[in-house]
Amino acid sequence: MSKDSQMRAAINQKLIEMGERERLKELLRAKLVECGWKDQLKAHCKDVIIEKGLEHVTVEDLVTEVTPKGRALVPDSVKKELLQRIRAFLA
Amino acid sequence: MKMEDMPLSGPDNTRLEALVHDIYSELVDDACLGLSFEVHRAVKQGYFFLDETDQESMKEFEIVDQPGVDIFGQVYNQWKNKECECPNCKRLIAASRFAPHLEKCLGMGRNSSRIANRRLATNNTMSKSESDQEDNDDLNDNDWSYGNQTSPRRSKSLKHKNGTYFFRCRHYNYSSGINYETLGPDEVRSVLTTGCVMPRCPGRSQRCPQHTDEQRRAARVFLLGRPPPLPDVDAVMESDTFDIPDGQSLMSRLQWEDSPDVSPTDSASSKATCCAQNEAKTLRSRSSAQKMVFIENKLNVKHCAPPRKLYSSRTRYALFRNTAERRGEAREAARGGQFEDVMFGHF
Repeated sequence: MSKDSQMRAAINQKLIEMGERERLKELLRAKLVECGWKDQLKAHCKDVIIEKGLEHVTVEDLVTEVTPKGRALVPDSVKKELLQRIRAFLA
Repeated sequence: MKMEDMPLSGPDNTRLEALVHDIYSELVDDACLGLSFEVHRAVKQGYFFLDETDQESMKEFEIVDQPGVDIFGQVYNQWKNKECECPNCKRLIAASRFAPHLEKCLGMGRNSSRIANRRLATNNTMSKSESDQEDNDDLNDNDWSYGNQTSPRRSKSLKHKNGTYFFRCRHYNYSSGINYETLGPDEVRSVLTTGCVMPRCPGRSQRCPQHTDEQRRAARVFLLGRPPPLPDVDAVMESDTFDIPDGQSLMSRLQWEDSPDVSPTDSASSKATCCAQNEAKTLRSRSSAQKMVFIENKLNVKHCAPPRKLYSSRTRYALFRNTAERRGEAREAARGGQFEDVMFGHF
């Protein structure tokens, strides 16, 4: 298992060093804005804020609300494309 | 570039896939975190709810999605079929054409004055004497020929009826005409062998249409001091038999020392009949070449050489081309507009 984690660490390092991680991040962000994922999530945040009260909202609240919903809302096409790119990089 | 030091097999494949998914999840989590930070900051800074107002206003400006109506709820071709009465001409004009019609009708606005001016201009020029000038042009065009250059015709062509002839000269640039006083002996030789020998004649061929053979022979005799050997004086062969005359003697011959009457200043101030009589006397004793120069001076065309007997279009064009090439200004020849100026006197 440590070999596995070693491998992961090595891969991550490679990813960062070659700037591929940044590129993938930007690509994902652009695609999510394009498909309306961001607006959807923002609307959800609005509800949460109104629910919790404007003054008492914390970062943790928002994060715990946003992350699972966000993961679920990513469209399939975007997911597939990103997986493809990562595989291509690793291969 | 790629990671090629990872040989893949069955179990490794699944592990790789898991790895890929993990990387993907990390990226998505990053995106979500970024969004939540953004929203949190907006909330705390107070600009998160700025695009929302009270419910009433929200209802008022809601996006409309009905047929025949734009998203604001307005009908866009509402005024299409309506007609308005023009206060000026009392006609019924369609609403969309009303403003331009009013502009023309009242005579205000940018374009109406322009159109009116143009109309006035065309009406005026039609009644002018432009047609006369056209006739003159045609006349002169067909008139050139060898040995037909009597002076009355030349003086007729000199009358500057309008700017046309004058500017025609200017464009044609008679400075290309030969002025023997300014040439050195070598240049004189080249001129004698290439261009027309008559002084101040811009013709490029040895048989330029402006001057008769007799005139040319006379000019040669005068300049070179001997009659040319061959009977066909103006054949090109003759160029080989020229001696370069002594530059000084040539220049002195050009001075007209013994005929003060021929000087330009005199011609400029010719007033009394006695002057004219003197001139007639001196004129009779001169060769035809000298007569030519004298006449030129008399007619007092210094800066703009007389628009000679106007050449035919073809000759003019050929001369123009030659001039341009000689001066290495191929640009001028290529520029069509310049040629047109020469042809038609527009500028």
